[in-house]
Amino acid sequence: MSSTARVPVAHTEPGASPGRFVCARRRASERRRIRRADALAANVPVRLYGVRRGTVILLTLCSVLFALFILAPLVWIMVNATKTQPNVYESFGFWFARPFVLFHNLSMLFENVSGAGIYVQWLGNTVLYAVLGGVGATVLSALAGYGFARYRFLGSKALFYFVLSALLVPITAVALPLYLVYAKVGLINSMWGMVLPCMVSPVGVYLMRTFIDASVPQELIDAARIDGAGELGTFLRVAVPIMVPGLVTVLLLSVVAVWNNYFLPLIIFTHNSAYPLTVGLASLSQGAETGSKGQLVPVLIAGGLVTVIPIIVLFVFLQRYFRGGLLQGSTTG
Amino acid sequence: MSPNEIAIPRLQRSGGFRTWVPSGPAPARRRRDRREGNGRWFVLPFLVLLTLFMFVPVCYAIYTSLFTSKLIGGTSFSGLANYGQVFASSEFWSGVRRVLLFAAIQVPLTIGIAAFFAAIFDLGVAKFGRFFRVVFFVPFAVPAVVAAMMWSFLLLPQFGPYTRLAGAVGLQRTDFFSPNLILPTLIVIVIWEWAGYNMTILYTALKSVPREVVEAAVIDGASFWKVVMRVKLPMVSPAIVMLFFLNTIGALQLFTEPSILSSFQPQAISFGFTPTLFVYNTSIGSLEYNLGAAAAVVLGLVIGALSVGSLLWRRRRGEFA
Repeated sequence: MSSTARVPVAHTEPGASPGRFVCARRRASERRRIRRADALAANVPVRLYGVRRGTVILLTLCSVLFALFILAPLVWIMVNATKTQPNVYESFGFWFARPFVLFHNLSMLFENVSGAGIYVQWLGNTVLYAVLGGVGATVLSALAGYGFARYRFLGSKALFYFVLSALLVPITAVALPLYLVYAKVGLINSMWGMVLPCMVSPVGVYLMRTFIDASVPQELIDAARIDGAGELGTFLRVAVPIMVPGLVTVLLLSVVAVWNNYFLPLIIFTHNSAYPLTVGLASLSQGAETGSKGQLVPVLIAGGLVTVIPIIVLFVFLQRYFRGGLLQGSTTG
Repeated sequence: MSPNEIAIPRLQRSGGFRTWVPSGPAPARRRRDRREGNGRWFVLPFLVLLTLFMFVPVCYAIYTSLFTSKLIGGTSFSGLANYGQVFASSEFWSGVRRVLLFAAIQVPLTIGIAAFFAAIFDLGVAKFGRFFRVVFFVPFAVPAVVAAMMWSFLLLPQFGPYTRLAGAVGLQRTDFFSPNLILPTLIVIVIWEWAGYNMTILYTALKSVPREVVEAAVIDGASFWKVVMRVKLPMVSPAIVMLFFLNTIGALQLFTEPSILSSFQPQAISFGFTPTLFVYNTSIGSLEYNLGAAAAVVLGLVIGALSVGSLLWRRRRGEFA
């Protein structure tokens, strides 16, 4: 694996390169110009393929259809979060219907579910787990990635293979074993039972190692050492500033992974005050469908909407980092 | 010792010596450096957590799977009896067959759709490629729980918008959750979730194919489809193989979507609909932890064997050093 792991990140998509990160605040017009120049440099002009105009229209139409397929459920959830329960079933699914009760549904969601504002608690739990788990995963991955990329100590190769082997262990095969261990050591319903396993991200280590190999020059580290910097000082003051784009990528991927995780919290939490949003929503949906709580369906839909929005916002604003991370996983496979 | 004698060995140890003396030691000398040992302190925290939260639990699960607990008589060693029970369980194997069938259809379909869109956006033969790429990637941000919830409303018998649409085009009383349609329904949901993610990976891989290669093909008179099928996609085959591998592992662990659907349509999802549901229902549902642990170990071994097998296969084909 070691030789493929060293494929440089240099041939990335234009616009995702670490260099571009520095100029994030460039003016929009200039960015557009650069993008156009990049596109010209990277691509053979379309007309050279001899593609007919009809083909372009047909392919664009295919993309439109698939985009509708992708967007329809999201439109549905936005529209139906504003409806009353009968309207969710009776009215046309992709358009609004009177009365418009979005704010009523939201206030029901935040105040009245189970009578004790438990959705707010779930939201808080999710943010807490995602932030702690994501930051922890990023810090540990950065340290370990740096250790594997820039040091050759006894057994470093074997240990790296050990980490890679962890990539092959399916998460569903670990969740139940974790529960069994937690039951022995009293970590059921503990926040740490959720956060600590989320900090273990073999993918993060692999991404960080690849990133450091490609973008933190050994010479720079040597220079810092000559100047008398300690090992940790070299890491913090020389390597980390260069690693920022990679760190953001790993942070985002880990935060999303924790935010969307369902199986692990489902197994290790038995009190609903410890639930994250995903497990909470699943328990709500059981209640909504069996009808034990009247009028709960639109509240549930609003709950789904509130769960999705933070991550979509995060993703739309920071999508270059998502792409960067996906890329490194792929070209170096 | 004079200050000089201290300073010079430090330069050598740091490996930066050759920047001062051009004929200095080869870079390989760096590996013998005493400072290299410090690397273990950087990897230690991760390895400790990896051991505690992954390898210890797995070992404990294997240990647990060798015992049997009874309400009367307590826990006793039972060897491989739990494994015998798992292997003899038709429920477990029907789940395994179901996810294999699911993977056999969903994985090629997802990757095919992803490759199609990645190729046309990469070559710029569809308009608004940037916009579509963002849109297609959005489901990655949607938790599987919410995705399954939205789709179970969209496909609701009688009331769901898509069910009505099917009715309008002449397919009256379609039940997307009936035994015949539940698998296609799940396939559609999972494609919705993952096609854009796969497309993004393939798109970035395609972008890394050097322009010269495509130019050469175009100059030789290759048509658009020839460029895609014979030049571009073959050059990113390692990424495609990796996606097959990741998608298959994901498909075999199928859990969240059927488990959420089961709260809306309990009749559609059986106890052991997928192996992971079997593990969950036997251990958390029926409190048979030993049996559940055995099933989890079997599932882990099957997936692990597939992973190792595909790695070895790729290595033999030289795709992977």
